[in-house]
Amino acid sequence: MNSTGLILILLIAIVAVLALLTAWRPELTRERGGKVLAFVSFCILPVLAMWAGATEHLQRSTSTQFCLSCHVMADFGKSLLVDDRSYIPARHFQNNFVPRDHACFTCHTDYTMFGDYRAKWRGVHHVLVEYFGTIPKPEDIKLYTAYNNRECLHCHAGARAYQEASSHHKSPEMLALAASNQLSCMSSNCHDIVHDVATLKDATFWSPQGNAK
Amino acid sequence: MIPTTIERRIRWSGLLVVAGLVLQMLTLLSIHPLAFVSFLLLGCPLVAAGMLLYLYSLVSDDTP
Repeated sequence: MNSTGLILILLIAIVAVLALLTAWRPELTRERGGKVLAFVSFCILPVLAMWAGATEHLQRSTSTQFCLSCHVMADFGKSLLVDDRSYIPARHFQNNFVPRDHACFTCHTDYTMFGDYRAKWRGVHHVLVEYFGTIPKPEDIKLYTAYNNRECLHCHAGARAYQEASSHHKSPEMLALAASNQLSCMSSNCHDIVHDVATLKDATFWSPQGNAK
Repeated sequence: MIPTTIERRIRWSGLLVVAGLVLQMLTLLSIHPLAFVSFLLLGCPLVAAGMLLYLYSLVSDDTP
């Protein structure tokens, strides 16, 4: 756990002690000071605690550890370590093209005004399915909608390697079509190997220590 | 001393707030989707219920 989490837990504990004191001795509220204590410990501080806690949880929910903590996501986590450059997530993860601590979220959030919140709402739905629904096989898990190039171009647009790659100039309008999402980056014969969890049993894996296994 | 109605409500509201805060603390101990959902769907509503009961006890108090 990081230091922010520990400090937050300590602060919430202090608020809880204050609220408990007021609940234990409600007669304190007969005096002016007790009324102030009750208002602060029942209304002001708990609201601040909820806001800080929610912010911390939202931050944590963008972590790779968070996403991979559900069993059904294990194969998707393994796919980040495939020793094959053609696997797009593996290439991004292993070369630090995305922050490793936030690898899933970096590519699977919508880079729009409410994208983060939409991603969180879908996440709550996934938790409900994990505990109360029928969990699909990893290879049967699909995106809700086709992957939008906007998420790729959030980083790649304007990058020299992207703009000047010969494969991106097979036709004059290729970059324009990709920018308008009319031509998917993951089209057949382009970047079409993504997590591909069904093929993992035959794959070799890279480890951060530098040895493929 | 016998607690008045408002004091009984304040006690209950305090207990709800404390229960919510303790639950929120526990959820912060782990990084897991279930902790996030528990914070959102259990911890926050408990605290909110305590706050509302407290505010209700203030406005419904008819002692001069």
